[in-house]
Amino acid sequence: MIKTSTPNDIIRYVYNETSLDENYFIEQSLIEDDSLQRIYQDLISLQTKLDKAILNPSDAVIKKILIYSKSFNNVGL
Amino acid sequence: MEYKTISDGKLVSLYQEGDQKAFEELLRRYKSRTYTTIYLIVKDSYTAEDLLQETFIKAIQTIKNGRYNEEGKFLPWILRIAHNIAIDFFRKEKRYPTIILEDGSPVFNHLDFSEESFESVQIRNEVFSRLRTMVQQLPETQREVLLMRHYGDMSFQEIADSTGVSINTALGRMRYALINLRKQMSKYNIQYDKNFYPK
Repeated sequence: MIKTSTPNDIIRYVYNETSLDENYFIEQSLIEDDSLQRIYQDLISLQTKLDKAILNPSDAVIKKILIYSKSFNNVGL
Repeated sequence: MEYKTISDGKLVSLYQEGDQKAFEELLRRYKSRTYTTIYLIVKDSYTAEDLLQETFIKAIQTIKNGRYNEEGKFLPWILRIAHNIAIDFFRKEKRYPTIILEDGSPVFNHLDFSEESFESVQIRNEVFSRLRTMVQQLPETQREVLLMRHYGDMSFQEIADSTGVSINTALGRMRYALINLRKQMSKYNIQYDKNFYPK
C-alpha cells in the first residue's frame, strides 16, 4: 500500500513535529502532489510574515512592569 | 552572570530567589510575542499594553508565591495567561461596548525591520498591518491555535490538551486558519514571497 500524506501532516512537518521516518514520506508527497506543495508554500510564507509582523510594546509599559516586579521582589525578601 | 544564555526555567528559579535581572531577561525575551498575541485579540494597542501589564503582574505573583509549575515551559505558560486575560477582556467589551480608536499609537509600536528605504518600510508596514487585521478577524478557535503554535511555541498536542480537543481538531483549525488567511490575502492582493512564487 502506498503511504500518502495529508494536509495535517504538512502542517506538522512545517512546525517540525514529524519524525524522520514521516519526513521521508512527506517529502516524497510534496514532490508528487501539487496541492500539498501549495499548502507547504502557504505555510512557509505565513510563518515568515507572522515573524515579521511582531510588535513591540512601549518602553513605558515595560518600565511599569519592571517597577512592579522590583517592588514585589523587595516585599518578598 | 550572563543571563542571555540561561534557560527559562533557571531564570524563573533565580527570580524566585530574588534576582531581579533574571526577571528582566524573561521580560526581554517574551514581551513582544506576548504583546503581539494580546494585540491580535483585543485589536487596540493601548488596551494591549494594559493587558500586557496585567499578564506579567499575574506571572510575577504566581512565581513569587511559589505556584509556578517548573515542569511547564515559560513561554506557553505566559501566553496562556495573556490569551485568557485578553479573551476575558474582549468578551466583556463586547457586552459593554466602548469607543475604541481604530488604531493605537504608532509612536511606540513599531515593526522590527533592518535598514530599508522609507517607501519599502511603508509598504511593509501596510502589508503586516493588513495581516494582523486578517488574523484578528479569524474565528476565535482558529486564531487561538495559530497564536499558540506560532508565537507560543506550543506543539499541536499541547494546544489540543490545553483546549480540550483532539490533535486532529487542533490541526484542522490551523488548516482552516490558513485557508481563511489565504482567501483574505488574495482579496487584498498581498503578494506571497517571491522565492516561493517566482514570476
